[in-house]
Amino acid sequence: MARGIRLEATGLSKSFGRIQVLRDVDLSVEGGEVLALLGENGAGKSTLVKAIVGDHQPDRGVMKIDGDSVRIASPAIAQALGIRMIFQELNDAPTLSVEENISLGTWPSRWGLVRRSEMRTRAVSILSELGVELDVESLVGTLRVGERQIVEIARALTTSVRCLVLDEPTAALSDGEAERLFEFIERLRERGVAIIYITHRLDEVFRVADRVQVLRDGVVALDGATKDLSRQALIEAMVGRTLDEGARSAGRRANDSQVATLRLGNATLGGTFSDVNLEVHRGEIVALYGKVGSGSAEVAETAFGVHRLDSGELWINGCESKFRSPSDALASGVGFLPADRQREALFWVRSVAENLCAPSWGRLARAGMFLSPRAEGRTYREWHGPLGVRSLGDPGQAISTLSGGNQQKVLLGRWLERRCDLLVLLEPTRGVDVGARQELYRLLRDLACAGTAVIVSTSDPEEVVFLADRAFVIARGTLVAEFASDELTMDRLAEAAGLVAGAA
Amino acid sequence: MDANNALVGAESSSATDVDDRVRRRPTLTHMIRSELLALIVVLLGLGLFFTLSSPFFLSWNNWLNILSAVAVTGIVAAPATMLLIAGQFDLSVGAGAAFVGAVLAVTLESNGLAASLALAIAAGLALGLLNGLLVSVVRVNALIATLGTLAIFRGFTRLITDGQNVRLDGFSWLGTSRLPFRVPVAVAIFAGVMLLFGFIGRSTVFGRRIYAVGSNPVAARLSGIKPERVVFSGFLISAACVTLSGLILVSQLGAASPNAATGLEFAVITAVVLGGTTLAGGKGTILGTLLGLLIIAVLNNGLTLLNISSFWQEVARGTLLILAVSLDQIRRRLSNK
Repeated sequence: MARGIRLEATGLSKSFGRIQVLRDVDLSVEGGEVLALLGENGAGKSTLVKAIVGDHQPDRGVMKIDGDSVRIASPAIAQALGIRMIFQELNDAPTLSVEENISLGTWPSRWGLVRRSEMRTRAVSILSELGVELDVESLVGTLRVGERQIVEIARALTTSVRCLVLDEPTAALSDGEAERLFEFIERLRERGVAIIYITHRLDEVFRVADRVQVLRDGVVALDGATKDLSRQALIEAMVGRTLDEGARSAGRRANDSQVATLRLGNATLGGTFSDVNLEVHRGEIVALYGKVGSGSAEVAETAFGVHRLDSGELWINGCESKFRSPSDALASGVGFLPADRQREALFWVRSVAENLCAPSWGRLARAGMFLSPRAEGRTYREWHGPLGVRSLGDPGQAISTLSGGNQQKVLLGRWLERRCDLLVLLEPTRGVDVGARQELYRLLRDLACAGTAVIVSTSDPEEVVFLADRAFVIARGTLVAEFASDELTMDRLAEAAGLVAGAA
Repeated sequence: MDANNALVGAESSSATDVDDRVRRRPTLTHMIRSELLALIVVLLGLGLFFTLSSPFFLSWNNWLNILSAVAVTGIVAAPATMLLIAGQFDLSVGAGAAFVGAVLAVTLESNGLAASLALAIAAGLALGLLNGLLVSVVRVNALIATLGTLAIFRGFTRLITDGQNVRLDGFSWLGTSRLPFRVPVAVAIFAGVMLLFGFIGRSTVFGRRIYAVGSNPVAARLSGIKPERVVFSGFLISAACVTLSGLILVSQLGAASPNAATGLEFAVITAVVLGGTTLAGGKGTILGTLLGLLIIAVLNNGLTLLNISSFWQEVARGTLLILAVSLDQIRRRLSNK
């Protein structure tokens, strides 16, 4: 493994059309160092790293590796120099097996014939080094998102990497998996690899990074050693204003004894969760905290009819419900925001207005059938302000042109317009920057105050502490703890989920 | 123009809003408009060229010819656009149209017009039910399912006609009679179908569902839409239009041919794709399909007026299709940069 790479970029600038995205940005990282790159969506982080990995060409600026000027004209050149990037979106081949994915493009071969045994040894050794238990023969498409991400990282590690760029690698990982990734990053650092780590999560910065660089509006807003910086300083540098992150939302309320909006009684779904008992009432936000694969997502999905219980009961508004499909759940007043925005929630090529109105079409239409684009546009304009969507304000704008946080606001607006009694959300702020996250939390709180029951399945303990009136902790398919809001701390959550005692 | 819009939008928003400025892409309406505009320019260009090269091109009679030539294809292309937007194909349209005509011709003499019309319509709906069941209940890929029903119904057509043309009398009104200004009934029906589907796509909940299902079936399901139902309805509607076109065709020819409407599926897909509907689903317009139909029809008509062999017309049609789709791909790649 090559030692002591030193990568320096000075005075990088990049414009798209008349819009300047990077202004005179300096960045340096050397072997054995983890540099965290922090910033809101649109701050220029991706453009900066894309310039480094050869995806974009900067308009001005110099790149040096070990003191020599280089021009990284394409990703292939970056790879030849030992610079690899793990993208946030999955770039795998879902119909191939884990071992085939790990060796994708770098098949061990002789005379053009792939040596399957070597491919397997390679996969097994890399995965065990990562501390991951995965069947190397299983198809990647059948894995959970977190597992697929690990396979992608494993793939990058088959080549000799001197500088590794990670774009929000833990967005879809459970705490246990994330912790294993951090340990692995430490091992890479010890071996002299330079690591650029893009993230929104402040905890991770303090967990993995030696240095942190904050970008805002295309300029470096802060650059310093992690140990000298406070959370508050990082947040202020990111959003450019003071933000009281710890402020508890107003309007938390005790349960009244009325009929629960959602009640699960001894709910069991074979192999996923068993004997789950919980109630969610009007006006409260209840969090289901659990690692990826703990069953928390499935419990939440059950309330929307995505799964059918093997045994036990599901009661909505005091009526026992056996949903056969999501549309039954919708008719009973349940709304649902899935975890994977792009795959399960967005109509990618359609307009913001259509994306906002989809579940409400039947109600918005005259005679339940006729719906003019103008009526849809009117509905969108009504929500545009309250949701705080940053867009052109044109209802015809394609949703794909919005940032992740703003897409999520539109999707939340979907259920505000639909007016549901119970809203089920999975990982509502995954891949959403800090500023938009606060706005989403505010919207959810407003929604609860207006009387909706909200249930949030999340693997982010910070989210639980910040948002929930009550929280359940799920591990291995069973509810292991329940906390009221004043008992909620991140330590207690982690302890209850069994993460502290050496990651199960 | 689009860049200006993006800038205006950015100025009025906050400083943390770089994202929308960076990813300034034209809005959906702009994109669709620019695609349609390109088609209109091509159509006008062809029109101008043929007007200059042939004195007959611009005459009312010639335009009625052009419209008559696309009427049958167009009546099927409208629901095909809808299906393709929903991410589905129907390859069985030609076989279906031939079968409907054959059923009518074979049963007409012994059963009388009303009964044999009912049988023909039932035959068309059977095709729609079969396609719909296969695709949305059994979940066979639409391309394969309708390739199968194409073969089955073409086979049935040849069986019941014994492989011979079957003459039919007393059913010429639909295909040959004319309305004021000598507009053929078929052309009026074509216009009506286009208007109807344009309205469905733009201003009905069903139309929205079609776009939603084609854009992302999972998200559609989680928004309370039943994608299988939407797709099933799509195939039924397609079959209804196929029935209509089959009746017009047999009426125009005065006979049912076992080889009638061969290749109709290709003509339809060519027009729909030329009109800007994407194979990936979720995008497309009826107006685009109409322009696609007219471009092909004008091209064929003009080349005929110039006495160019009809074999060359096929070459020209294929070239045009590939050119249009390639240009679209290239344009998209440039705008994504």
